[in-house]
Amino acid sequence: MPQSPDLALAPRPAPSILATLARRNEVALLICLLALIIFFSLASSSFLTPRNLTNVLGQASLAMVAGVGVAIVVMSGEIDVSIGSLAGAVGIPLVTIMNMTESLPLGIAGALLLALVVGVVNGYLVAYLGINSLIATLGTMFIIRGGIYLYTGQRSIPDTAYLEEFFQLGNGRFFDFLPYPALISLIILAIFIYVMRMRPFGRQIYAVGGNPEVARLAGFDVRRVKFICLVISALLAGVAGILLSSRLGSAVHVAGLGFEFQVVAAVVLGGVSLAGGVGSLVGVALGVLILSFLSNGLGMLNLATEWQLVVTGGIIIAAVAFDEFKRRNQKQ
Amino acid sequence: MTETASSVAPPSRLRALTGNNEIVLIVILAVLCVLISIGAPQFYSVENVVAILRQCALVLIVASGMTMLLIAAEVDLSVGASLAFSGVVAMDVTNKTNSVLLGGLAGIAFGASVGLFNGLVVTRLRVNSLIATIATMMILQGGIYLYTREAVQNRHSIRLFTDLSTGYVGPVPVPVIIAALVFIACYVVLRHTMVGRYIYAVGANEKAARLSGLRSERLKLGVFVFTGMLVGLAGLLLASLMNTGQPTAGRGFELQVIAAVILGGTSLMGGRGTLIGTLLAVLVLKVIDNGIIILRWNQDLQMIVPGLVIIGATWLDLVRRKSDAR
Repeated sequence: MPQSPDLALAPRPAPSILATLARRNEVALLICLLALIIFFSLASSSFLTPRNLTNVLGQASLAMVAGVGVAIVVMSGEIDVSIGSLAGAVGIPLVTIMNMTESLPLGIAGALLLALVVGVVNGYLVAYLGINSLIATLGTMFIIRGGIYLYTGQRSIPDTAYLEEFFQLGNGRFFDFLPYPALISLIILAIFIYVMRMRPFGRQIYAVGGNPEVARLAGFDVRRVKFICLVISALLAGVAGILLSSRLGSAVHVAGLGFEFQVVAAVVLGGVSLAGGVGSLVGVALGVLILSFLSNGLGMLNLATEWQLVVTGGIIIAAVAFDEFKRRNQKQ
Repeated sequence: MTETASSVAPPSRLRALTGNNEIVLIVILAVLCVLISIGAPQFYSVENVVAILRQCALVLIVASGMTMLLIAAEVDLSVGASLAFSGVVAMDVTNKTNSVLLGGLAGIAFGASVGLFNGLVVTRLRVNSLIATIATMMILQGGIYLYTREAVQNRHSIRLFTDLSTGYVGPVPVPVIIAALVFIACYVVLRHTMVGRYIYAVGANEKAARLSGLRSERLKLGVFVFTGMLVGLAGLLLASLMNTGQPTAGRGFELQVIAAVILGGTSLMGGRGTLIGTLLAVLVLKVIDNGIIILRWNQDLQMIVPGLVIIGATWLDLVRRKSDAR
């Protein structure tokens, strides 16, 4: 086909328009985040301390890591709701292997292997069998959670190896300053921002999510791209699960319940369109931070967790509604 | 689905009655019934069949509304939280007024107002319904604990209230009758009225529907409120069944309902789906639940098997459609 090189170039100019649009969205999110921080630092004297700010980064890390994965999947035009169950499930091989071998690397390897298997299954069901991703990952979500209950008999598996590294992974601080989970999440975020902006694969994800038919004609392997996105999402959910079980100090059977809702909310708040093809990871990171600072700040004001839920829900609606409003005004 | 099938070829009686996906579900249901009855002959006893139908009732009531919502290309994830909250409200109001009628109305009105809120956020503020109803879910989960810290006990002991879920008319439990009435009403509206056709039209192509003069926002708002009302009704029945208003009830209910609706062949993109499919899917899921119990299998399989069935049925449907297209 003679025209295919032209088509392959076609997605090139589009990102620049997308990027400028996305950047504007990020500015709005940043203003929102700063406003929150200013409000809370005026309202509570203990909010604006290095200790608390780094704490929030630590608390945000789980949603940040998993959010990067889900965002990539959503940008490719699919969705992954099995991440909550998976984040809970990886604790089982992690803790069991550690208890047997007293080795953290082996435990992590086991946990990531489980995540890889789930990612491959999700990816195969969605990309190659063509099952709608919400249905497929809803199915694996049930299967994994059921599997956890079945295996553990609805009890937590305690960590009996008491490895210092395992405790440090979730609770320690890099140079006694930045919590390790925060450090890990920032590294992962930076890598994927680079991939999404600079690498051909990142651009392929946008192309596939924006218009799969055009992407296919341009010579991209749409199925492979979607498959890899779902595998990445599962692996990152696995990483989040490892950090979570280190924080909890055991494999808890109810860990990660409802985590998928939190993450999807943060991703959409960050400006990623559920229709696919639109969004940026910087936006996602800001979305995660806004929700984390909100929950931390409301906690500092001694507001009951129930109020935190109510306020968070209200702010999600307000933020997305504002974004829609802005977009409609821009069109006119 | 039925529509396209019937417009292409002169429909056979069966084809006209059942969409394509429904054939897969009927086969699955039949296979399940045969397999379970081999393992446990008591599966076919009257008590067991009644028990299965009773367990279907709550899910079917909400799933009927959810089917309409998905056909209109929207979704409501707040139904689980709203279910628990309306149950608490119904019980509380009945306690305070000693009137089941007022309590029931309060529960249903609460559900409807949650639906109204969702509908307004989605249609006026243009927030995507998936994210809007996740937010509503959070608000309700927080709100219910602000309303009551512990379960609202039944302090009125009115027979009628408990009869709503445990009573019988002849051999048929009351909730089954209520569910059947709701289902039939929804079926008639969706298949045989203009409103039903409009719902399909708005879901299939909202722009085209609006250009041809449909007030799509209003229609969607109506479906949200209607679904909310059904959630309120289900919440009332749940409170009556448990004899308390339990704030922790309804966890994961939204996923059960949505799993049933999409297993029934309703498209997530809107514009396609049938209530018969939803009914069959609810039956399949509840027969599985029941089978696991009477076969004395580990009850944790009640999550795994439906997960497998949802994926498997969708895949079978895809395969069948591909071979049809050839």
